[in-house]
Amino acid sequence: MQTFSIPKSLKENMIYTFCPGCDHGVAIRLIAELLDEFGLKENALTAASVGCSVFLYNFLDVDCVEAPHGRALACATGIKRAQPDKFVFTYQGDGDFASIGLAESTHAAARGEAITTICINNTLYGMTGGQLGPTTVLNQITTTSPHGRNREYHGFPLKMTEHIALCDGTAFAARVSLDSPAAIIKAKKAIKKAFEVQLKGLGFGFVEILSSCPTNWKMNPVESHKHIREELTKVYPLGTFKDLTEGL
Amino acid sequence: MPNIVIDPKKCKSCYLCVEACPRKVIKISNISGKTGSNIVEFDNTENKCTGCALCAISCPDLAITEVNK
Ligand SMILES: Cc1ncc(C[n+]2csc(CCOP(=O)(O)OP(=O)(O)O)c2C)c(N)n1
Repeated sequence: MQTFSIPKSLKENMIYTFCPGCDHGVAIRLIAELLDEFGLKENALTAASVGCSVFLYNFLDVDCVEAPHGRALACATGIKRAQPDKFVFTYQGDGDFASIGLAESTHAAARGEAITTICINNTLYGMTGGQLGPTTVLNQITTTSPHGRNREYHGFPLKMTEHIALCDGTAFAARVSLDSPAAIIKAKKAIKKAFEVQLKGLGFGFVEILSSCPTNWKMNPVESHKHIREELTKVYPLGTFKDLTEGL
Repeated sequence: MPNIVIDPKKCKSCYLCVEACPRKVIKISNISGKTGSNIVEFDNTENKCTGCALCAISCPDLAITEVNK
């Protein structure tokens, strides 16, 4: 019996172009597996972000519109309203979602758009060389905070899932990680719920994925996962912060 | 018999599968891959693989293309 095969929603014979050990590959595979399970491949549309997450459209075999930096949810709102029968999702980095795109992101959640958003939080701007972002944790060294994030100078990091969970339009908000096989299985369950709230028309579905960036963190992939498990989860606790499906 | 299929062209030597395998049947080989580091290989001489697929679940590059139980 085959216990693992490559999901059909991924393009045939594609090879990921991410750095070694980058969690983007796992996150995209989980989305593809769920598109397969729900039979949504032909019916899905996505608005791509800017950042390493943009490569989604090279790997996933679904139609996609490229949005300007941070505006994926504004584009996705248009797509969903024009074609309400389609399954619409966005796949964004933390810089895209919570920095340049915070207004679009928050308002899409507050309006309760029936869209699913997967946000990859690697605590910095990965694609442009590892600058400080809104999610960079205190004391973290990045190229624009060489002495570490300082609370007097840079302020505190933004907690996206808690923030999105406070919006009345949000139907599901959870934070997960991909640092071990068990965590990956839990992450898939959370993304599945975020898909379901859209399919049931309950509102905005959001999953933040704590994700490693070995290249910019200057750690090897195994150490990066240990760092997520032992350090990042202290600042960004894992769990479900809002779930409207609970009482159903 | 349980087995896995590794695509050497896709392995980027991150070794997350080596870390994930509960039976330690994935080892670092002597063959260097495209990143310059040695890629992994499946060594099931003691028949310890159970086909649990935890390696494939952890692989960020889909280099473990198939797992059979
Ligand atoms: C309007 C605009 N401003 C800035 C940029 C430069 N830029 C490209 S990617 C990026 C950072 C993206 O970071 P994040 O969303 O965290 O994604 P990651 O690469 O870390 O996955 C920036 C600032 C741009 N492309 N467009």
